[in-house]
Amino acid sequence: MKHKWAMAIDMDRCTGCGACVVACVAENNTPTAGEEEAGKGRLMQWLRVSRFWKKEGEETRAIFVPTPCMHCEKAPCEIVCPVYATYHDEDDHLNAMVYNRCIGTRYCANNCPYSVRVFNWWPAKWEKPLDEQLNPDLSVRSRGVMEKCTYCIQRIRRGKETAIKEGRKIRDGEVMPACAQTCPPGAIIFGDLLDPESEISRTVKDTRLFKLMEHLGTEPSTVYLKKQKGPGR
Amino acid sequence: MSGEGRMVVIGLFDSVEGAAAGARSLLALPLPADRVTTISSVALPDGAVVHDPRPIRFPWIVVLFWFVGAVFGAGLTLYSYLVYPMITAGKPIATVPPTIIVTYEMAMLGALLSTLVAAFVSIGLARIRRKKVYDPRIHDGRIAVCAAVEPGDQARRAADALMERGGTSIRTEEGEL
Amino acid sequence: MNERNHLARQGEGKLYEELSRSNLVTTKAWYRAAGILFAVTAGAAGVFFYMMATGIGVTGLSRPVMWGTMIILFVFWIGLSHSGTLISAILRITRAGWRAPVLRGAEAMTVFALMVGGLFPLMHLGRNWRFYYMIPYPNDRLLWPNFRSPLLWDMVAIGTYLTGSILFLYFGMIPDLAVARDFSTGWRKKLYTILAAGFRGTHSEWRRYHVASTLFAVLIIPVAVSVHSIVSWDFAMAMVPGWHSTIFAPYFVAGAIYSGIAGVITVMAFLRRVFRLENFLTERHFDNLGKLLLTMTLVWGYFYFAEFLTTWYSRLPEDWALISSYGGHFLPLFILMLTCNFLIPLPALCLSKVRRSVPAILAVSLVVNVGMLAERALIVVPSLARRNDPSIWLNYFPTWVEISFIVGSITLFSLLYVIFAKLFPVMAISDIKEHLFRTTDRAVGGAVVPSVAEEDEGEGK
Repeated sequence: MKHKWAMAIDMDRCTGCGACVVACVAENNTPTAGEEEAGKGRLMQWLRVSRFWKKEGEETRAIFVPTPCMHCEKAPCEIVCPVYATYHDEDDHLNAMVYNRCIGTRYCANNCPYSVRVFNWWPAKWEKPLDEQLNPDLSVRSRGVMEKCTYCIQRIRRGKETAIKEGRKIRDGEVMPACAQTCPPGAIIFGDLLDPESEISRTVKDTRLFKLMEHLGTEPSTVYLKKQKGPGR
Repeated sequence: MSGEGRMVVIGLFDSVEGAAAGARSLLALPLPADRVTTISSVALPDGAVVHDPRPIRFPWIVVLFWFVGAVFGAGLTLYSYLVYPMITAGKPIATVPPTIIVTYEMAMLGALLSTLVAAFVSIGLARIRRKKVYDPRIHDGRIAVCAAVEPGDQARRAADALMERGGTSIRTEEGEL
Repeated sequence: MNERNHLARQGEGKLYEELSRSNLVTTKAWYRAAGILFAVTAGAAGVFFYMMATGIGVTGLSRPVMWGTMIILFVFWIGLSHSGTLISAILRITRAGWRAPVLRGAEAMTVFALMVGGLFPLMHLGRNWRFYYMIPYPNDRLLWPNFRSPLLWDMVAIGTYLTGSILFLYFGMIPDLAVARDFSTGWRKKLYTILAAGFRGTHSEWRRYHVASTLFAVLIIPVAVSVHSIVSWDFAMAMVPGWHSTIFAPYFVAGAIYSGIAGVITVMAFLRRVFRLENFLTERHFDNLGKLLLTMTLVWGYFYFAEFLTTWYSRLPEDWALISSYGGHFLPLFILMLTCNFLIPLPALCLSKVRRSVPAILAVSLVVNVGMLAERALIVVPSLARRNDPSIWLNYFPTWVEISFIVGSITLFSLLYVIFAKLFPVMAISDIKEHLFRTTDRAVGGAVVPSVAEEDEGEGK
């Protein structure tokens, strides 16, 4: 069964609350870096809410851009990996990452124009009761490998398996990454583009649609909907 | 170079001119050109003392191994496309530029390695089976003129010829040129 | 008999003694120098194992700046390695009359700089104990390297260049090993006997030897050019502002030759001082190398300006953010590079007084190498620190771990060189002898000038 998973982020709805980041950290066993390491640019979060400041008349407004992995169709990170640790999953159109193969050249991180790949600078640690909250569906990555947003591939896999067992197609909204599930204003829309009835298929027809750094030709699967202007905004 | 049962006559000369005269008188014995040679600590121009009649062909081996290396390089990349047909960055599995680069580097590696081996074989280095004639006094600036001769009369006449032209420490010994 | 064509212009034994002073006696000073170098190198190796045991987090690297000092050192040392073999091969092919005393030292510099440079891409891996994942061999990990990655090209190219340089160095040394074999005793004699492989110096041996060394020289030049092109393609193939540029390959090659010539001059100056080779490495050699260095200063300046100009005119926002950082956070580095690579060497090398004074030209070449290190840093770091997404911009500064790698790489290179100089003839004795043999002093009016006899035809004819 082929799918083309995609995500749309509605900038009009995003409040920059950061709940998606927390959900992602909890779902994907992402280690916390701590204040000092975060200052050194060692945050391990797969999804960051980039903040840009824009002056509008007297006031300065923040623009929030939640940036997960774009799962590019033509991902620059894939081709530079010497050991195929990152490659294109053709069944799900995902930019896959194999931790066991990775040797940590960090070339993929350099070649990612969105800088969404993170590196395990230290061995991951969870202090005593916290290790109980680790998600058993996926591994804890070892030191020295790259990792990045997978569109919660463990949920995609589970959804596919359930659908096969029940002999049906995956229903729209059945598979949902942690960030989309958590987003309070519902700014993150996720689904299968090969299903013409899905919400995401309708969303990508919106005229507000834009892609980050589209001129680079990476053909990202994560797309954005522009902020609306006008009364009431 | 010398056949079975040949001896080598060897004489030392102080100067290039003296050595040239010695070599000329050996050739006048007569001895064929491929049986007279010099041992010197610097390369002498061809024809200064003796002439090397054998053509040098081993560069062709290097050319051959350049192609062997190229085939290996191209084969390595093409094989890896076959065993691991993984899509990356939406690019074709068998891509031209990487194939060219790896092919080129492997071709050069093949040529470089074969240069060493072919040169060793052609020069006759690292052959340890037979004793070769030598005189370390060449490093004092002498030139050793030597020739492969039949034992007996020819050997005696060769030694005399070298003596006549001012050669010193003339001796005849068994060995290879 | 004509006196001037004597092979022995001076006692050859004495010549050998003078040229390979380093091989003859092992002084206390050598042990002291080698001991200190070994201790510092071992310390740096210890730091590396500490990094291996704790994590790459001990470096100053961060999310945008994933490549830092170790990659800078990689590019720097590979660049330095560039000129030795290249100069030696070009001088051999063009039969430059002054080449002989420079050859060996330059070739050895290439080999050791390559060995040092080749370590860094392996050291910098996140899981450096898994470096063999990049080697294509049948295995049951279901793993085969991706030849589309520039890192694989790097591995192939550096492997070829290192092998080629070692062969070139060794092959060029065979007649000298034969000399050393005849003059030495004890274990050295055994070593040299094996390595000289029975080279005697018969007429046919010499002829084939010359053909083969010309062949080596011809083959090694395109390899040398390709290696640094490929190192540049590690960067140029990436979609990073400032890296993604077609000028990178020739620019890197020019920069590599530039730093390499400075490296050759540095090595020559040390060899001359330590082994008292004033009779062989004369002012003339430094003058000629200085002229080469001057040429490369101009070439480097030209490339840098050409690259800057295109960015300045297009002012693409990503590129412009990078160029602006040269005037901002990276200004000290930029000034250091510009001063050391252009503003000091250009006028200094124009003066023959500077070129002909060994301490002065040594100072200039050290300055150039400092500048080139800064240049490598400016290539690697700012492009990453000012990525496409401004929200993650971050500056980079090396930690004590990386600084100890800088020191360790210099001492490791020196240590390898010191050991080499102790074991092997560090001067190309046979080439020097041949040059002396072919040289005669000729009176031209009131002046006496050296003139060299050369055969017109190629050596293979």
